[in-house]
Amino acid sequence: MMTNKLAKSSAALVALGLVLSACGGNNAEEGQSASTAPAASGTAGSATGEAGGWKGTITMYAQSYTPNSKNIAGLKQQTGLQDVANEYEAAHPGIKIEFVDEEFKDYTQTVRVKAAAGELFDVFWGQWAELNNTFPKGIAEDLTPYFSQPNPYIPGKATWGDAMNATVVSETKSPEGKSYNINGDYVATAFFYNKDLFAQAGISQPPSSWSELVETTKKLKDAGITAMSQAPDYDWFQRHFLSDFYAKEFEQIAGFDQSPGVSSLDQSVAIVKGMLNTSDERFMGWWPMFKTLTDNWKPDYLSSDPGVVGSNARNDFLAGKTAIFYDGSWLPENAKDANVSFELGSFNFPVLTQADTPYTTGTDVSGAVGGPNAAFQFAVATKQANSTMKEAGKQAAVIDWLQFVGTPANVERIVNEHGTFVPTWPDTKPAESMTELANQASNELKALGVGGSSPNMSKNMQRIFGLYLSGNIDLAKATSDVQKELNSAIKEYQSKNSVDLGKY
Amino acid sequence: MTGKAKLKTALTGYAFILPTFIFLLWFMYYPVYQALIGAFTDWDGFNAPRYIGLDNFVRLIGDEVLRQSTINALIWVVLSIVLAVVPPFLVAELIFQLKREHAQYVYRTLFVVPIVIPGIVTILLWRFLYQGDGAINQLLEAIGLGSLQQLWLGNPNIALYSIILMGFPWISAFNLLIFYSGLQSISTEVLEAAKLEGATGWKRVWRIDIPSSFPQLRLIIILTLIGSLQNIIPPLIMTNGGPGYSTYVPILHMYNVSTVNGEFGYGMSIALIMFVIILLLTLVNMKLVKSES
Repeated sequence: MMTNKLAKSSAALVALGLVLSACGGNNAEEGQSASTAPAASGTAGSATGEAGGWKGTITMYAQSYTPNSKNIAGLKQQTGLQDVANEYEAAHPGIKIEFVDEEFKDYTQTVRVKAAAGELFDVFWGQWAELNNTFPKGIAEDLTPYFSQPNPYIPGKATWGDAMNATVVSETKSPEGKSYNINGDYVATAFFYNKDLFAQAGISQPPSSWSELVETTKKLKDAGITAMSQAPDYDWFQRHFLSDFYAKEFEQIAGFDQSPGVSSLDQSVAIVKGMLNTSDERFMGWWPMFKTLTDNWKPDYLSSDPGVVGSNARNDFLAGKTAIFYDGSWLPENAKDANVSFELGSFNFPVLTQADTPYTTGTDVSGAVGGPNAAFQFAVATKQANSTMKEAGKQAAVIDWLQFVGTPANVERIVNEHGTFVPTWPDTKPAESMTELANQASNELKALGVGGSSPNMSKNMQRIFGLYLSGNIDLAKATSDVQKELNSAIKEYQSKNSVDLGKY
Repeated sequence: MTGKAKLKTALTGYAFILPTFIFLLWFMYYPVYQALIGAFTDWDGFNAPRYIGLDNFVRLIGDEVLRQSTINALIWVVLSIVLAVVPPFLVAELIFQLKREHAQYVYRTLFVVPIVIPGIVTILLWRFLYQGDGAINQLLEAIGLGSLQQLWLGNPNIALYSIILMGFPWISAFNLLIFYSGLQSISTEVLEAAKLEGATGWKRVWRIDIPSSFPQLRLIIILTLIGSLQNIIPPLIMTNGGPGYSTYVPILHMYNVSTVNGEFGYGMSIALIMFVIILLLTLVNMKLVKSES
């Protein structure tokens, strides 16, 4: 009897320990609430750019711009940011800039854990959508006050914000109207293609319209060549189609929050108002049209998660197994690293016509996908996320360093050295290797889509999208599931942000 | 030994195990306590948790993804238990029946050696095998069964089974050794008596070996039950729960709501419910598979 009881208790304890320990963790800074944004005191450094007397080391995780990297896969030896740091250190004796040379497989989780432990990097790479929606509130300093003050390292501009891309700043604001990063580059996306496989199929020119694109994939398929084989990213393709279909309502949607650019608040209001939801036939109207294209693809990855099969699909293309691959402007660099044996070409997402779909406005939306989501997006940790920021004068010094990095000259120098992104600030020019795709960045940023209302919304939409494209569910079922996702995301957005969307 | 000396000896013993207990409490029980408390909060993993009573549990009831995940997990558990018990037991029985001890040793070693291959390697290997142009489909084509080719991980109707059934021929070295040691512990008197009574071959397996292996069976069922409900790696790496939610399981849902969505409070409530379910299933199993030892 005792043995039985003991065995039961032991089994219970083992189960309890194994299951729940997976979920437990240190509740860092319990009792502390998120920091508020710094007062707009203008203490970002003196007019000469001095760091207020603080001396020490500033840590920075610069993602693709990490200089002299030995540990981050795919990064070539670049020195641009190190050169900038050396100049800063020479002008500010006692301050050292240290770059974090690590590859993080799950960066979001890394930021969460480091912030919870109060050990986040002083300056860290953070894209606007993550800073606004995914990361916990309070890990990054509100930089808005600094944007409206002079940057001592940009003598010709009245404020730091004047040197930045105003549209990008507006579009990337949080629901409360705050900017948590400086945003200096742009990633372009395009259809990349294997010229040799095109020639084998007797195709001499890349497609320039939607119907030509569908026809091209069919020709390739008929010639026994895999036209395309990848998990079509819902988040990317929705932006192409919805930015076109809703182009006439763009200003209305972007204006819900009384600020330029489409914020997560704008998206949420448009969903609630029935514009960006399934009651508007344009919202799902592109799915059947897109399926006519993916029906010519190899079906292996259609229903898969792009994050799981993305590298396989890219490797297939680089190995010459597939003819076309839709990807970011980093692909030519990947192709160079892989020493591909074929000639690489690229073409933009085509401008749609009434013959393709009655919903089109004929807008050029080739630049709607990439946008200001590359690597020159830097945020500053709060005192709660990084305990060393409590040192007197350190926060001012870190902001001063960010101002030093954040000048048009440095943005251009750092971004162009890397060579796969486009600098977006006024008075900057793209690298020669990017000129073909840089025209996307010069288009007006009028990208529309949904996904900002909830961190997992895009992933859930991708699941439905994949099931539909692979023929496992029909459009009616997909529409119903999409609406459920939208409703659920709105509920979450309202609860997390305490916003009454009905007032807009 | 005087009372003082006894006390000294006892204190010395306790002093030796004290560090272990401190670590056990700190690293095992304190996180469990946190998870239990956290299930009743709204916590993003950074800011202070906010007590929200039973809200997370109310949300659980209406969570369609969790419902689908639970069905998948039940299928997973049932099939995992079958695969964890039947093939290893049959192989253990076959090895045990070998007359030469050296032969038993050789076969035992052969089945145990693959344990050195890290699990993650096996998973990645099977992902490769399951690809549309992977080895399984190529083999089917080669033997004239091309019509049976599938998108093993891309078809929502079979993806879950593809993941569960990877690892053919499903001989878990750990389970094999446990069953084998159970068979070895059957006394020779019992085996000889059974032989005299005519219990040989399958009759002996059914009447002697299987009932004698109930303690091992119970242990393996409990461990497989817990292990399969916690087994996040295969679905995370192979499909991330897709296509759709066809390979989603509660542990993956817990992981995603916590780390992707930042809803650690809700994730902990899923973990708490999982704990209760595992506990209940464990108790049921212990009731059903009774044994004296």
